[in-house]
Amino acid sequence: MSLIPHILRSLKHLPPFPVVAQRALTLLNRPEVSIEELVEVVKFDPGITANILRISNSAYFGLRREIHSLHQALLLLGTQELLKIIIASGATRLFANATPGYFQERHGLWRHSISCALMADLLARELGMADRTTAFTAGLLHDIGKIVLSLHVEQKFTQIMMVVEKRGIPFQQAEKLVLGISHAEVGGEMARIWDFPDRLRLVIHYHHLDRPEAFSDDLVLLVYLADLLVMMFGQDLGNEGLAYDGFPQVLYHFNLRERDLERLLLHFGSSWNEAKVFFGMVGDGDAVQCAHRG
Amino acid sequence: MVVGVADMKVSNQPSHLLVTHALGSCIGVAIYDAQVRVGGLLHYMLPDSSLDPARAAENPFMFADTGIPRLFRECYALGASKARLKVKVAGGGQVLGGEEHFQIGRRNYAALRKIFLKNNVLVDNEEVGGAKARTMFLDMATGRVWVKVIGQNIVEL
Repeated sequence: MSLIPHILRSLKHLPPFPVVAQRALTLLNRPEVSIEELVEVVKFDPGITANILRISNSAYFGLRREIHSLHQALLLLGTQELLKIIIASGATRLFANATPGYFQERHGLWRHSISCALMADLLARELGMADRTTAFTAGLLHDIGKIVLSLHVEQKFTQIMMVVEKRGIPFQQAEKLVLGISHAEVGGEMARIWDFPDRLRLVIHYHHLDRPEAFSDDLVLLVYLADLLVMMFGQDLGNEGLAYDGFPQVLYHFNLRERDLERLLLHFGSSWNEAKVFFGMVGDGDAVQCAHRG
Repeated sequence: MVVGVADMKVSNQPSHLLVTHALGSCIGVAIYDAQVRVGGLLHYMLPDSSLDPARAAENPFMFADTGIPRLFRECYALGASKARLKVKVAGGGQVLGGEEHFQIGRRNYAALRKIFLKNNVLVDNEEVGGAKARTMFLDMATGRVWVKVIGQNIVEL
């Protein structure tokens, strides 16, 4: 029996995408973003402003001076770094609930999403891609479908894993066989409802590369590879482990060799420890409500 | 006591439980001498320190070839003897697909076998490879080692 109608119905009650992150997304892909525009985006949300200051002052950025205001953060970090922090802070509310179908740990999906964002950013730098902020954002949001699909996956987890093992197919294909739809497809649908930019929606929908459309945009391939590398690194692995396809053509496409992948893991290992400040951003439900009231 | 990525802990305290979380392509090595109750757990990321010798000097636990010797030496320093050490290995997972690409897990494991062969060390038990995420525990009171395959069962090695 297909669960698709049931799952699509639950999307009708999808809460709105956090407004700060929504506004920040419209600033992506712009050559110049002014300080006024950034301040305008965050000024009515003290919780997010506090988060931005905390992250700006973290070891990850290693600034010598303490940052007390958004203006200072902008001067010392630059608009693109600040935009990444705003998007990550704005999106935290989405990831506040546990996703037990995919992760044992309550904030597992958030940690995995941040890890993937950092890896996509690192990879974009390695490959000399111009728009690292978009890569970061796409890495952060690639798995949003898991937020909605988690409870369904939890109920059918054993069955899905049996299909993975018996047929030797990747997890998202087994998800589709058992539930009728994969987390990537649900995510693509959410991106449509939330009116994300097209490229971002494509990344979310095709990040496991199971359709030819995926190969039409380097950003999709980049996030796919970042996701895979983060899984290999471990630490934020979910219940499905590493049960996804490794496509060598992506490595040929970016002209990357195995040794380059090792080097990326090495760099990621150093930034991962310092980036832990991002992981602590999502509080429990109460804290989120407080931030909302504040 | 939690052993992080590219990290190692050795101990002679029976009250300690050493654990390393979510091994993907990384490998966890647990060794234990039951007579003196000395042991250690290493979590390394990559096979070969020639990738970045400067970083290997900074943190030898990143690589198999620099981390594994350190694990043994530090246990010897606490009184362990090579002949008595039990050696258990977990991790080295792989994504699905061919044999030539995304093979860091396999190369991590091959590096370990090479080092052990050269130094005449036998592996007593292992749980490696496959598309699995694993968490590894070493109980310092008994030397027992468990591996939890995330999302699945827990097995003793």
